[in-house]
Amino acid sequence: MTPIDLRIDWRKRLRILPQAVVVYVLLALLVIIMLGPYLYIFSSSFKETYTLISIPPQIIPEQFVWDNYTYILSELPFSLWFFNTILVAVLVTVGTVLIDALAAYAFAKKEFWGRDVLFGLMLATIMIPGALLLIPAFLITNWLGLLNSYGGLIIPALANVLGVFLLRQFMQTIPEELEHAARIDGCTDFGVFWRIILPLSAPALATLSIVVFTSQWNNLVWPLVVLNDKDLYTLPLGLALLRSEFQVNYGITSAAAFLSVVPLLIVFLFLQRYFLEGLTVGAVKG
Amino acid sequence: MTASSGASQTTQGQSGPFWGRAAVRRNLNAYAFILPFMVLFAVFNIGPFFWALWLSLLRGDLVDQVKPFVGYQNYVSLTTDSITLKVFLNSLQYTVSVVPIAVVTALALAFLIGNKLVRFKDFYRAVVFFPLLASAAATAQIWSYILAPRYGVLTYLLGLVGVPEIYWLSDPDWALYGILLVEWWRGIGFHIILFLAAMLGVPEELHEAARIDGANAWQVATRVTIPLMRPVILFSVVMGTIWAFQLFDTVFVLTNGGPVHATATIVWYIYNHAFRYGQVGMAAAMGVVLLLIIMPISYVQMKVLGER
Repeated sequence: MTPIDLRIDWRKRLRILPQAVVVYVLLALLVIIMLGPYLYIFSSSFKETYTLISIPPQIIPEQFVWDNYTYILSELPFSLWFFNTILVAVLVTVGTVLIDALAAYAFAKKEFWGRDVLFGLMLATIMIPGALLLIPAFLITNWLGLLNSYGGLIIPALANVLGVFLLRQFMQTIPEELEHAARIDGCTDFGVFWRIILPLSAPALATLSIVVFTSQWNNLVWPLVVLNDKDLYTLPLGLALLRSEFQVNYGITSAAAFLSVVPLLIVFLFLQRYFLEGLTVGAVKG
Repeated sequence: MTASSGASQTTQGQSGPFWGRAAVRRNLNAYAFILPFMVLFAVFNIGPFFWALWLSLLRGDLVDQVKPFVGYQNYVSLTTDSITLKVFLNSLQYTVSVVPIAVVTALALAFLIGNKLVRFKDFYRAVVFFPLLASAAATAQIWSYILAPRYGVLTYLLGLVGVPEIYWLSDPDWALYGILLVEWWRGIGFHIILFLAAMLGVPEELHEAARIDGANAWQVATRVTIPLMRPVILFSVVMGTIWAFQLFDTVFVLTNGGPVHATATIVWYIYNHAFRYGQVGMAAAMGVVLLLIIMPISYVQMKVLGER
């Protein structure tokens, strides 16, 4: 760059400085609003009980204590809730991805009688609100003898319509030639699916996994109606219980809420791309 | 399955027994792939849908083996039940408040992050995504402390600028807005990220052309950028509306419908009538009403997904 260019650049920068200041002040505000609540409960989780209600509130506790964490880990079945959540979320994710991928492969690559009708039917069920299905799904789960069990949490969650859409759409882009080549080499139908289609669909599988895992990790309503036994509770249900049944102690609820979010925050930092993609499937929240 | 792929290559004709025909085998083969999904889908989606319609015509609680048929009586009861109207108005008021607020603020924030001066856009994208990660239950716990009267940090901060104490979750006039505040924080990232992607997808030449024609920043935004984002904004409004009408988790944990039904929503009504008050028929009838509200809105979502 020549010196003249630099000078022009400087003048330009000076001109946009006021705008830049406004933009970055607003951005700082945005960061505080979005992250502030997390940071505040993180700091509050180390507060001593009596400082929780001090006025003005202590943004950073005067004294750091581990009491809240020791309480939820020793007096509450928190580690059990944590384990249940991981177990259910992992099993539902693996099961959903497999079952959805099998169906998506057939819908994407095969012709069979009633395919378009079935697919249209699946599409239409997107319009049904979950709350309407809640009661009969509960009755069926009861009838199958799955109430108050891991199975009752996992099995009804396995057929995910949005997952079939996502995977089908991706699989349709895989060239036919790859399949034909594999077939000539003697691959069976399942072989084609397992050795060719699945590996090539890895990005879509990852996106779906993230969507399913997140929604299972955060699911409240279904565990709420299916479970009785506190030892089977998942984290969201445990957190709801903390609010309703135990005396409200914000140190304890802060520690529990923070611990329940940390695993997803860590996964998010590593797999951001898939979280962002999963967002457009419209299934992360709600 | 092994035999079928061989058979479909050699015998294309209609010869042999029905099950041996190539076309039949090809179909059976495909059905084998969709079978696990379809069984679960039928048992936990399709079946419950029709059962729910049927339940709305019955009376009884969850454990009653025999539920007497009452016809449309439950729907009539919905119109006379004192709390039904409250629940509808709450859900409606909440939805028509939260959706415009979320969409407009998200649009403004997307323009902020999308500003050409802003570097490291990925960082801000991650920041607004963070609230989406927490469960509604965890979010509710976080905010119940922040919104607490007297020692709550928001109460304190607002007090610094002279705003009198607000009982966000225990004042019947404010509770719905307390919930709205929490849900806004929780969901805003969805809209921002969608808008940001659409906005950055608008070709730079269009902005340049508008500026050469003498348009200022505001005119470029309202006459060029936003009209081009219309499909995404529509999708955002649709999803926001669907979620808003189905609000439950946050209400359940933060206020459980109170105070005096100020935050009782449609889904809250369904849950409580089915699982607390033993009125499955009423709950199912309310569910059908929710379906009728959601369906036309959700139809747009279905179209969008179907077009992809």
